[in-house]
Order: sequence, then C-alpha cells, then structure tokens
Amino acid sequence: MTPQTTASFREQLAQQPWGLWWLQGRRLTSIEVRRNLFSWKASWIYFLAFIPTFIILIHLVADKHLQYMLSEDTNILAGIVQFYYIRLGVFFGCLGIFSRLIRGEMIERSLHFYLLAPVRREILLLSKFVAGSISALLLFGTAITLDFSLMYAGFGAAGRDYIFNGPGLGQFEAYLAIIVLACLGYGAVFLLLSMMFRNPTPAAMLVLGWEAINPILPSLLQKISVASYLRHLMPVSVAANGIFALLTVQTEPVSAWAAVLGLLLLIAAVLLYSCYRIRTLEIRYTTE
Amino acid sequence: MSVYKLNYRAYTGKVTPMWARILVLVRYGYAEAWSSKITVGIAILSLLPCIVFLFGIYISNNPMARLMLGNQSPRGLTIDAEFFLIVLQIESWFALVMTAWVAPRLITFDLADNALPILLSHPISRFGYVFGKFISLFVILSMTTWIPGLMLFAYQGYSSPLPWALANLRIAVGLWAGAVIWTAFLSILGLALSSWVKWRAVATGIIFAAVFVPAGVGAIVSAVLRTRWGFLLNIPFMMSVLWQRLLGAPEFAKQKISLPTTAIAIMLMLICLICVAMLNARIRAREVVRG
Repeated sequence: MTPQTTASFREQLAQQPWGLWWLQGRRLTSIEVRRNLFSWKASWIYFLAFIPTFIILIHLVADKHLQYMLSEDTNILAGIVQFYYIRLGVFFGCLGIFSRLIRGEMIERSLHFYLLAPVRREILLLSKFVAGSISALLLFGTAITLDFSLMYAGFGAAGRDYIFNGPGLGQFEAYLAIIVLACLGYGAVFLLLSMMFRNPTPAAMLVLGWEAINPILPSLLQKISVASYLRHLMPVSVAANGIFALLTVQTEPVSAWAAVLGLLLLIAAVLLYSCYRIRTLEIRYTTE
Repeated sequence: MSVYKLNYRAYTGKVTPMWARILVLVRYGYAEAWSSKITVGIAILSLLPCIVFLFGIYISNNPMARLMLGNQSPRGLTIDAEFFLIVLQIESWFALVMTAWVAPRLITFDLADNALPILLSHPISRFGYVFGKFISLFVILSMTTWIPGLMLFAYQGYSSPLPWALANLRIAVGLWAGAVIWTAFLSILGLALSSWVKWRAVATGIIFAAVFVPAGVGAIVSAVLRTRWGFLLNIPFMMSVLWQRLLGAPEFAKQKISLPTTAIAIMLMLICLICVAMLNARIRAREVVRG
C-alpha cells in the first residue's frame, strides 16, 4: 500500500459521518435494551440466569457451612459455571435474546421499518448486537456476582479471607471474563444463525452438539468453537464423570491471552460475515 | 332462484361417529408433519443407528462373520438387556429431536393463524382436538422408538440359535413399555409447550430447553444442597433409570444417587398433569387481544 493510498483511505475515513452513526447506534441500542430487559417475554431469561442464585441462597440460609466444605463449594461453583452457565444458561439465554433481534422482528413483521429508515444496515446490526450483549451481560454478570458472593457469605471470616487474601478474587475475575466472552461469542453466532435460517433452533442444537464433541475433533476444527476457548480460562478444573468428562477435556494447553484473543477473533469474523449478510438481506413476509 | 327463496333444513344423512372425527385431525396432522423435508431427514437419521445395531446382532449370531472379524469368542458381542437399553436411549434422543420439530408444526400454526376458533366451531371437542394431535405425534414418534426396537428384538429372536426370544421376553415388554412412556410423555410435553408459544422457531427451542435446562438445575440442586432429589428434575436421567429397571439391565447409577421408581412415576405424572393444565388453559375457541 503506497503512502498516497493510505492518505486517501484516512481521508475517506475522516469524511464518514461518525457522529450520526454514533447517535443512531445509541438510539437503536437503547430501544433494544429496553425491549430485551423490561418486557414480560424476557422473564424466562431472568429465570435462566438467576435460578442457580436462588438455589445457592437456599443453601446459604438452610445449610451449615463448615470449614472443610469451602473447597467443596469452590468446586461446585466451578461446575455451575462450566456445566450450567456456559452449556445451558448462557447458551439458551443468548439463543433467545439474539435470535429475537433479527428473526423475531421478521416474524413480528416489523423489521422493514428499520430497513426503510435512513440507517446503514451495518449500524443496525451492530447496534442490535451491542444491545443483546448489554442485556445478556447485565443478567448473567449480575447472576454470577451474586452466586459467588452468596456461595462464600456463609463461611464468614474464612470466606472473606478466601476471597480477599486467597485465590477467590482471581477466580471471580476469571468467571466474569468467561461469562462476558460466552455472551459475546454465542451472541455473535446466534445473530448470524437467525439471519441465515428461518428456524435457527435446529442449527443452534447442532452448535450445542458441535461444542460437546469439540475436544475430540482435530486441532484446527477446535478453533471454531466458543466453549473450547472458555475451557482454557477456567480457574478451577472440575472432575467430571461419564460422558460429561468430554466437556472438560483439554487436549492441548493454551495460554489465557491466546484463548481470549482467539475467541475475540472468532467473534470479529462472525460479526464481519453478519455485516456482509445483512447488506443482502431480503424479507418476504409471505414466506416467513 | 334468489337466495331468500331458499329454504334450509337440517342434514339428515349419515353422521360420522364422534370417535372417527378425531381421525380427521390425525390424518391432517400426520400429513402436515411429513410435508417437511426435515421430518423425513430426521426419520431417516433415526434409522441409521438401527442399521448399526442390526449389523451387531448379525455379527453376534454368525460364527463365520465373527471369525472373519477376528473375534472367536462367542461372548464377543452379547445381545442382552444392556444392548437394548442402548438402542432405546439412542432412539429416544432422536424422538426428542423429532418432537421439537414436529410438535410446533401441529399446534403452533393453528394458534398463530387464529385458526383454533374455526377448528373448534366444528363438531369436535377440545379434548378431541388435543387427542387427535396427540395421536399424530405419538404415531410419528413410535416410528423412531418402540417399532424399530421391537423389530431388532424380533430379528435377534429369529437369528439366535437358542430359544432366545421366549427366554428374554421381559426385554421386549420393558422396551415397549419404556418407549411408550417416553413417547407419550414427549407428545404431551411437546403439544403443551407448543400451545403456549406463538412462534414455531421459539417453540422448537423451548422443547429442547424444557428437557436440558431442568436437568442442569437438578444437578445444581443435587450438588449445592447435597441431596439426590434434584435428579427428579433431570428427565433424561430419570428415564434412563426407569428404562434400566423395566429392561432388567444392570444398575448404572450409584446407590446414593439412585431414585425410587415411585418417585420417578409421581414426577412424570406431575409433569403430565401440568402439561394437561397448560393445554386446557390455551386450547380454547377464543382469542385474547391485548390492546
């Protein structure tokens, strides 16, 4: 690339209406966030996010918290994140949130209002993705914070010591990072699937199966998976029995930064392809 | 002749019996389900494991084939209750996939297109409507569960040199009973969940979620509260325990997490009753329009 081409590219970038795009993006995002979080249709996502919190709350109130149970509870919390949140809660939650953003509007026959507005389609898609991500992160981030706090609250001073002077805080940060990446990763995948298929659920179930058998696939194919990157970020390794052991297998060690970078690249690639797809998106309501 | 000059009188011809009217819904439901290529695809996929099992039975009963494969021991591949438990488990997963695809097609379209009041204005009861849809789904699921299972059993009975079938009749009865329970359970669950969701895409997802998410929640309950009763929310686990007892296969669950058969039966009935209540609330000849 010659210096002249670079200069003209920079000039073109500078001439774009970034202010208008930012404003449109913000407005679209706030509309979608309100619809995702404050409608009765979203109540089941609250259930998915907070049901473990409710169970841990019962444990806090009803059970005794003896010293030796601290490490046991640490393992249980790791299991909840690894098996419930990543494989079920965040998975189905994101499927619901992100599939609704495009496909839901097509079924409700309201997407054409957006498409008729003078907004770039990429701005529309990215705003919807940001809105879905904010909703998912708020719900599941809050849930994981509450889960972590309630799990150790019963141990009193020993629990506080574990969090602030032991490995607890690091584990909490890792869980938050895992939840954030899981929401973004599954969100990007389901947003794309909802544009590609009239009924994205069968494809999502294939993704669920793909994620489960991913550890036994060749190394190259393992890179096209959300959960395989997240496995490397788990601060506590959970011993699983039977078929569930497949979900915890780590075929080759990958450093945390490489796993995060790999997943971010995967998300970026999926979003780029989604932007390309939405440019040619056509709605025929008669066939929907 | 002008319309006002026409006189109307009641139909005096032969009336279709009440029970036979349900069959009309069954026929149309069945046709609707098979009109999708994906239904055909799932049905074909569900038969692929049966071919593998059939091959296994052939090898097990043919000494020459065993020799050619390098296995001289007659105990190399035993066809017993455990084998048929695996058959049932694999076919049951396909039945779940089939339910998630077919059940919303049977009922969601009627609700989404406001066709229910028109359908129920015909001489057919609400029970008849649901029962007709139930039979359609039950028949389709039977094709992936107990029918291939019993065919494999019959083939094993035929190809075995010993009087195998009579000696192992319990396996056939257990296989049939276990598959019928699962098929009936999936049918009612699929219809109930589909009746509450207007969009087919969402209904498909919710049927999967209704099986997987409570299983996860049950595991959390069991782990956090240190109790085995959380497994009562785990439908696949519950059904596996039930099937294993019906077929007389060795117990796979450890003693401390094993569930009593009565508790499993009560839980399944409770879920079915909830599904019936959901259908009762939703299948009505009226529509609520929210302003």
